[in-house]
Amino acid sequence: MTRLSLSRRRLLQTGGGALGAAAFGLRPGRLAAQTAVNFQLSWLHSVQFGGSYIARDRGYWTDLGLAVALNPGGPNAPVEPPVVAGNAIMGISAADYTAAAVAQGAPFKIIAVAMQKNPFAISSLPDSPVNAPADLEGRSIGMATANTPVLRALCDINGVDFDAIEIVPTQYDAAPLMNGQVDCILSWATDLPVAMIVQGADPIVMLMADHGHSVHSQTYIVTEETLANDRATLVALLRGEVMGWTDYHADTDAAAALTVEMFPDAGLDLETQKLQAARQVPLMFSDLTAKNGFGWFTDDTVAANVETLALLGQTVSPDLWDRSILEEVHGT
Amino acid sequence: MTTAVQSPRWHRPASAHLRTAAGIAGALVAWELAAVRLDGSFLLAGPVDVLAHIAIHAGLMWRALTVTLWAATLGFVFGNLAAIMLAAVAILVPRLERPIQALALLVFCLPLVATGPILRVLYGPGIGPQVTLAALACYYTTFVPLLVGLRAAPATWFDLVTSYGRGSWARLVHVRAFACMPYLIAGLQIAAPAAFLGAMIGEFTGAERGMGVLAIRAMRGLDVDATWALATIAAAVSIAAYAAIGWAGRRLWPDRPAMILATSPMTGGRRPRSAAVAALATAAVVLVGWQVAMDAAGLNPFFAKRPGDVWDFLVTHAAAAEHRAQLFAALGQTLGYTLPGYLAGLGLGAWLACVFVTWPGVAGTALPLAVALRSIPIVTTAPLIVLALGRGPAGTITIVAVMIFFPTLVACIQGLRQAPGQVLDVFDSYATGRWRTLLLARVPAMLPALFAAARMAVPAAILAVTVAEWLATGTGIGNLMALTASTSNYNMLWSAIVILTLVSFAAHVVVGALERAVLRVYAPEQVAR
Repeated sequence: MTRLSLSRRRLLQTGGGALGAAAFGLRPGRLAAQTAVNFQLSWLHSVQFGGSYIARDRGYWTDLGLAVALNPGGPNAPVEPPVVAGNAIMGISAADYTAAAVAQGAPFKIIAVAMQKNPFAISSLPDSPVNAPADLEGRSIGMATANTPVLRALCDINGVDFDAIEIVPTQYDAAPLMNGQVDCILSWATDLPVAMIVQGADPIVMLMADHGHSVHSQTYIVTEETLANDRATLVALLRGEVMGWTDYHADTDAAAALTVEMFPDAGLDLETQKLQAARQVPLMFSDLTAKNGFGWFTDDTVAANVETLALLGQTVSPDLWDRSILEEVHGT
Repeated sequence: MTTAVQSPRWHRPASAHLRTAAGIAGALVAWELAAVRLDGSFLLAGPVDVLAHIAIHAGLMWRALTVTLWAATLGFVFGNLAAIMLAAVAILVPRLERPIQALALLVFCLPLVATGPILRVLYGPGIGPQVTLAALACYYTTFVPLLVGLRAAPATWFDLVTSYGRGSWARLVHVRAFACMPYLIAGLQIAAPAAFLGAMIGEFTGAERGMGVLAIRAMRGLDVDATWALATIAAAVSIAAYAAIGWAGRRLWPDRPAMILATSPMTGGRRPRSAAVAALATAAVVLVGWQVAMDAAGLNPFFAKRPGDVWDFLVTHAAAAEHRAQLFAALGQTLGYTLPGYLAGLGLGAWLACVFVTWPGVAGTALPLAVALRSIPIVTTAPLIVLALGRGPAGTITIVAVMIFFPTLVACIQGLRQAPGQVLDVFDSYATGRWRTLLLARVPAMLPALFAAARMAVPAAILAVTVAEWLATGTGIGNLMALTASTSNYNMLWSAIVILTLVSFAAHVVVGALERAVLRVYAPEQVAR
């Protein structure tokens, strides 16, 4: 019954699209060749996915024969189920999430990596700064208890006494740091610290990736079945994505402006989005991507991931990563 | 004189309105003062900042409100229609009552953390999950009081229908439908804020716009003005819905309740053997229904687990003992918070109801505040309560109590007003004091409503505690379920759902047994078959 309603919805979407196209006098030839695909994002709409918005706005996907729907995520919207169920052809996950899903029997492959550096960071305020992992000893840290393994691994790598840190279960919230309940917080470098700066604070942000935490983030995941049977669509989808992110790198302010304009109901603040867009750049673009193109990964970076994931208690095979689509996109 | 006590909010003098206005003004001042005190803590914004924020972002707020309100309204309509139909069937076919009650409870027990993502996969993009979660959040609190109300009719009325040679359908249409109206109104009043909250949390499953989307954004962005502006709007909408439903109810059903004098039931309850058979049959229906629903919807077993998967995970798997230990440790932590919060919420609700009915003047001031307190989404109040009371048990217990005191209060006020007019007249003519009238006439009349509230509050308390654990404290079974998002451990998620449902059932049975024992004495019409 659901299959029926799903196909009916797809039919309606396609039909509606064709009607709309006829009404606007678009060339039917180009539209007839368009494939409708859903791309599952990992969070609410924001400049975090700025490259994808550029790809859609500038028609990169349309030119490649794709009509891409960008489905937002949220606090109660895990990415893996819609991708496994086939509701979305591709999703945005992270290496640790994907590895866990694979251990639970999901047939995922990582086909590209948006964040070369993991965005996890420990933020503190100048009067009680945490500049290096050793500074954590004797301090209290506010974080989601779910991330305890991440902190433990950081301590293992850097020889810090884990038991000397007081973990306060604040979940994902910057207020406890701002009002002095804790000395530091664990969050992404691109969201809570940005909010703190916008509120006038001057946080010290220690990126965990700079201290041995090598876990690819904002990774593109697909099922093995899609990878085997739908390669042309994936190549087109990823090619548009790469073009969008390349433009993003060239002008992050424009990406922020486009995001705010595209989603007027999302409650986005332009200055916040600009700041976030700029702070994302060092996580996503590196010498590696400058040389090989956006989304790239190598056997070495995969090996570093496997090593860190082992510290997090996850046994992962390098086979989880598959670069074949990316190689086709970048023409290597 | 009797009328004034009987119906404190029906024919109110100007002074009562003045008192209400003064009460609201006082609350606003207290709110502003608290906000000033907490300035710089990023936890609370005062009414001045909130109003300013709403004024500046009026367009955005309005668009978000219309989106969420529409989903909440659809959910409210569908959820309550389902509740009314379920209750009608349960009354018309008494044999089906227990299975229907069990299934209704079971569906209500399903945690939002678990149902949200599955609904999103089923519906795809759009407002489907928001509407469904709003409906799920409100149908049970209508179903339970409605079932009580459908029985709250004098035996003489039924005898009249029978003497005309008519059957159970005529009894439903001509007697029960009228008898249940006050209960239905109370149920709908409780449902309104629940539906709105359900629609907001539904947006957490991936939505482009709406109040829930803005709330997440505001909290992540430390935008405390926006957070409380959204909370204020949500509360205002809920209060308006509560008042409108109450007003409509008073217009439609202004009569004083009739005297219900039922004899004790002759039958000594169900034989334990047949009850056990019924329970087993219900369990079988649930298990088969679960499997069939998952298969029919074609849901992938990676995230949509079947009964066999849960059995394997908890019983036959090599690490089953480890899984059970983890699950029960979390459950123990959760229940340690739930039980005190549950009892405190029930006690507070019943006590406040007595105060409000005895001193109608207090009700005029405090009832709107109580509605407001319940209507502020738990998502925004949880961090504030945690700051005030700490991350220990006190904070979580308070959150649970706040979530369930309001349905209890509404149900009990309505129950207290069900004291038959004739009985109150007798007390009045003997110049009986307020407390004696309360104790001897009103409290017995309130008992069916209190127990209905106690049953409704079981899943509500578990919902509250798991949401608080998920969003604020990161402890217990709510946190264990939320971990699924990063670990994809859907076996643990479904096992947690099963265990929580069993716990809710057990609690329900205990409350039900107490209820039958007490009502056999005070309200035999409720236990008569």
